[in-house]
Amino acid sequence: MKKTILASTLGLSLVAFAWATSAAAVDETAAIDLAKESKCFKCHSVDKKKEGPSYHSVAEKYKGNAGAEEKLIKHITVPNKVKIDGELQDHQMVKSSDPAAIKNLVDWILSR
Amino acid sequence: MFGGWWKRLQQRCATCSRVTLGVGVAVVVLLVGAVIAIGGAAGLAWTERLDFCISCHEMRDNPYQEYKGTIHSVNKHGVRVVCADCHVPREVGPLLWAKFNATFELWDHFTGRINTRKKFLAHRAELATQVWTQMLETDSQTCRNCHKVDAFKDESKRAQAAHARMKTEAISCIDCHYAIAHDEPEGPGPQELRVKLGLTKK
Repeated sequence: MKKTILASTLGLSLVAFAWATSAAAVDETAAIDLAKESKCFKCHSVDKKKEGPSYHSVAEKYKGNAGAEEKLIKHITVPNKVKIDGELQDHQMVKSSDPAAIKNLVDWILSR
Repeated sequence: MFGGWWKRLQQRCATCSRVTLGVGVAVVVLLVGAVIAIGGAAGLAWTERLDFCISCHEMRDNPYQEYKGTIHSVNKHGVRVVCADCHVPREVGPLLWAKFNATFELWDHFTGRINTRKKFLAHRAELATQVWTQMLETDSQTCRNCHKVDAFKDESKRAQAAHARMKTEAISCIDCHYAIAHDEPEGPGPQELRVKLGLTKK
């Protein structure tokens, strides 16, 4: 009886863990496809110098910041300006209205 | 008919002067040369075509798939840029040298150096670095074959400011516009490579 309860508890824990990790897993292919469609890579590289900060440096900057995801989602969905070569320019908006896809893209950026 | 002509020619050549013989030889040499030149030019033109490049599955299944849908493939002007436009110089000397070097890629093809997606990805950084190095060393000449600085019109202020930097800084097209046609690899990009190559002076 005790063994049955223990085994069931362990099994349920494993299932819950798998669900939690799969829910948090980023779909890299979808994120990159959306980034390409939104022309993010015109200014941003994953890890190299380009006009905008690399996604690696963005991830470093927001490491441990609980509000990072929300901030970045707002950055790519609400019109705003960024300074490039001394000039204020409109930041490109993400070409999607799907909240899940946008969240996935931001999570991918923050995981670089 | 041919036999009769040849017999007459033999009889004629038995007594013909050196001038005649020389002219005859020259004509033959010119004809052979013309065939080689025309054939060579046709062959070179054939190797500039997109279908030639993607006849190798390594190119068809990897960089070509990435290139499809990019601005060099489809755009509002209907202008399509293919592999040779960016990867092969137009100047005669560098062109012939590039074609000669490309024959060594046959060895890579037959030894299967990048004959799977996994192998291609493993070599992507190395391949990109080769191309970026060539572009940095030629001041992005292949880009500038089509994109002329004095032909820009109705540029955004941002683009104007960025392009103005080329007049005073040691930068060229590839420094900023890399990964415009293919996915970027991990590791150093053109700006980092430029420092490594010592190409930092205007």
